[in-house]
Amino acid sequence: MLNDQQLAALTKLFAHGSTDASAALSRWLGRPAQIKISRIEEVALATAAEVLGDPELPVCFCAMSLQGALTGELILAMNDASGQALADLLLSRPLGTSRTWGEVEISAALETANIIGCAYLNALAQMLPDGTELLPTPPRFARDFAESLMEFALMNQAAVSDTVFLTQTEFQIAESPVDCHLLLVPDPESVTVLQGLLAK
Amino acid sequence: MTADSRSTSLPMGQIAVAQQQGVLRTLLGSCLGVALYDRKLKLAALAHIVLPQSSGPGHPPGKFADTAIPEMIRCMQERAAAETLRLSAKIAGGANMFGSTDSRNTIGVLNIEAVEQILGNLRIPVIGRHCGGEQGRRMMLDVANGMVTIDMVGAETFTI
Repeated sequence: MLNDQQLAALTKLFAHGSTDASAALSRWLGRPAQIKISRIEEVALATAAEVLGDPELPVCFCAMSLQGALTGELILAMNDASGQALADLLLSRPLGTSRTWGEVEISAALETANIIGCAYLNALAQMLPDGTELLPTPPRFARDFAESLMEFALMNQAAVSDTVFLTQTEFQIAESPVDCHLLLVPDPESVTVLQGLLAK
Repeated sequence: MTADSRSTSLPMGQIAVAQQQGVLRTLLGSCLGVALYDRKLKLAALAHIVLPQSSGPGHPPGKFADTAIPEMIRCMQERAAAETLRLSAKIAGGANMFGSTDSRNTIGVLNIEAVEQILGNLRIPVIGRHCGGEQGRRMMLDVANGMVTIDMVGAETFTI
């Protein structure tokens, strides 16, 4: 469990990441992006799958594995309506044109994940000691039950604890149904590394 | 089969037991769902197993294969009172989400191996299974007849 001082330092760090990711999303879509939620969660494993809402509903994950100083998963998650609207915005099509997850829609989601994920990680690296590298792998796409995908993201922390630590940022795009979540789920050892880096 | 008022949903690492009627259900990725059933008593248990082996006391017993199965049997025996349990098992899950090879996904395979070994040692036959692949599953156990229904996103529902 994190103490109040550690929690405050991590909240500040991740808020910086959320702000830069929001700005990158806004530039990428050419519309204002609003941060609806930006928080750190420390929750029981049994309830962690509810972070994204109803765990039984299908969602899409664009997951990037982190390499470098921190390891874990950085995930852009969205429901079908948001992901398909995102593709419409990027292709300058009327909202509602995309109705399935085709190659174009998946590509739009993956590229969006890449752009806001990198902005998020760059912002975090700026706040950490010089030379701290945070490197994401190319994003991978999956559409499945929210709980099934959250299991994947949480598995490494679940191996050592009955509570899990993650950060969540929810973005909304003005005048559109796009509502997406960026989750950072560090591996258990990276939670300790983060605390050490912030103490320097 | 869909969620209804008689349906109990299990989160990660939990166990549920029911008798006569109702549905026990859970959502699985690389975790493994284990259903135990006594047909004569219409007594059912479902566990959502996260990891193959426990690391000591103080954790929910349903989280680990080596503690979940004995706990399921203990709870079922409590319901059965003096009756002798005659159990069969069905298992589902253990998917390799994203098709990757990191530790998140090798855990799914280890869970399947651990559960099959424990059930084998206890002489509980596995009469249905749907494991592996790259997709999550909704596993639903009908307490009235022991049927297990599997839902996968974008696929037809089927029973095992």
